[in-house]
Amino acid sequence: MTDTSSDSAAVPLVQVRGLTTVLGGKKVFDALDLDIARGRVTAIMGPSGTGKTTLLKHITGQMHGDAGQVLVDGEDVARLPRESLYVLRERIGYLFQNSALLSDYNVFENVAFPLRQHTRLQEDLIRNVVLTKLQAVGLRGAALLMPSELSGGMARRVALARAIVFDPMLILYDEPFVGLDPIALNQVLKLIRTLNRELGITSVLVAHEFAAVREVADHVHLIANGKRVASGTPAELAKGDSPWTAQFFGGALEGPVPFQYPAPPLASAFGFPGVAP
Amino acid sequence: MKQFAARLFDPLVDGLADIGRTGWFLLGLLAALPRGLTYPRELLRQLWFVGAKSLIIIMISGLFVGMVLSLQLYYTLSIFGGTSALGTVIALSLYRELGPVVTALLFAGRAGTAITAEVGLMRATDQLSAMEMMAVDPLAFVASPRFLAGVIAMPLLVAVFNLMGIFGGHLIGVTWLGIDNGTFWSNMTSNVSVWTDVINGEWKALAFGALISLIAVYQGYTAPPTSEGVANATTRTVVTSSIAILALDFVMTAFLM
Repeated sequence: MTDTSSDSAAVPLVQVRGLTTVLGGKKVFDALDLDIARGRVTAIMGPSGTGKTTLLKHITGQMHGDAGQVLVDGEDVARLPRESLYVLRERIGYLFQNSALLSDYNVFENVAFPLRQHTRLQEDLIRNVVLTKLQAVGLRGAALLMPSELSGGMARRVALARAIVFDPMLILYDEPFVGLDPIALNQVLKLIRTLNRELGITSVLVAHEFAAVREVADHVHLIANGKRVASGTPAELAKGDSPWTAQFFGGALEGPVPFQYPAPPLASAFGFPGVAP
Repeated sequence: MKQFAARLFDPLVDGLADIGRTGWFLLGLLAALPRGLTYPRELLRQLWFVGAKSLIIIMISGLFVGMVLSLQLYYTLSIFGGTSALGTVIALSLYRELGPVVTALLFAGRAGTAITAEVGLMRATDQLSAMEMMAVDPLAFVASPRFLAGVIAMPLLVAVFNLMGIFGGHLIGVTWLGIDNGTFWSNMTSNVSVWTDVINGEWKALAFGALISLIAVYQGYTAPPTSEGVANATTRTVVTSSIAILALDFVMTAFLM
């Protein structure tokens, strides 16, 4: 919590402070606090429906909390005017769960899209940058394919090339491992690691797959019921010291996360006599 | 009783709320329009998509409407012995009323639904969010070009529709029913005024074009990101635009008389 340090490298890139968000009457975040360290791979894990993707949307300013703040590189995202927010977003890469490639454009134009929108680069320079990024994800040969012709794993790699086309300071991966076969999964894992280790891009990934997270993440935050319930290196969390980690990483049916969705007692649902509904 | 009243008035309240939200959307859209003009390639693509690709259906429909008009009006005029006015009556019906309205209804069915479905799917597949994340305003990049294309394309399509209608009317009236060719044209040219009749119709076309593309883009933009949501939005585009066109047509006719 001491962010008065003059050394900016020591200040976490993303600081979430007391974030409280209510969506449709449900408290998604309840005074959530967490930090994303610079130059590391941080995984955010938790049971389905705990608002992991929602947290990413708070970091990019697509959603705002009802209380608390989200600081990205020292700036309060919710208070930024639109122009400054857009300038900030140019420095953040976001990998959507369903890749979200623009269906009207081919692979090359999808990757070139941010460059064409925000720069006045010469065509041959754009070409060089785009082909370099596509080469990095191994899809230079697919430059002229349309998004509808790509497999899920290929689309995700194209989306990744698009996300890094501006050499961002931060990449947010929303469920990067879902629906991938083991080969594609390894390719994506390797890419995440390479981008982080070689380019020093701070990476945040939201995922369920602990086996995959273990391979890349330096740090894991486990969130449940709107709060951060555990943090640490994957190895520390795997030991399962708290009931949360024990249930989540052990996959037990019962624990702090109940198997049953909240409901009135079974007897009253069946209408047994003598039980008030 | 209370429930019955609620069921009766709920759609009305929903409808009014939707009109209000569409109005708000229009304000945002108009604010983004100048930035939308910085994407001329998108505008051209959309003009091709909603304008050029609607040409065939507009031309065929115009031809048949003109042919039917010719048959029906010939019958009506023959009661009064005024069949020589056929050319005038066909042209006035088309320019003042049928051209803009029928073209608008066809445009809503052909282009409006396509815009809603496309934008709705872009929403459902996170393409609009992705643009926001790449610091590109989807109102400027996606909504504005589609809106503008509708506004530009409608008056041109109406002109084509009218042309085909008069051609069809001439085909039946002169070639088939045997009205004198000179009478047909000279009556028409002396009684149809460019400034009141033709231009009034084009004002309507412009207004309908803006209305349809606004409704289509709004419905797509706000469609729930599910297949059911996109399907419902597409239906709503047709229903809402059709009613709005006919209502606005009455108002505009009353004021432009």
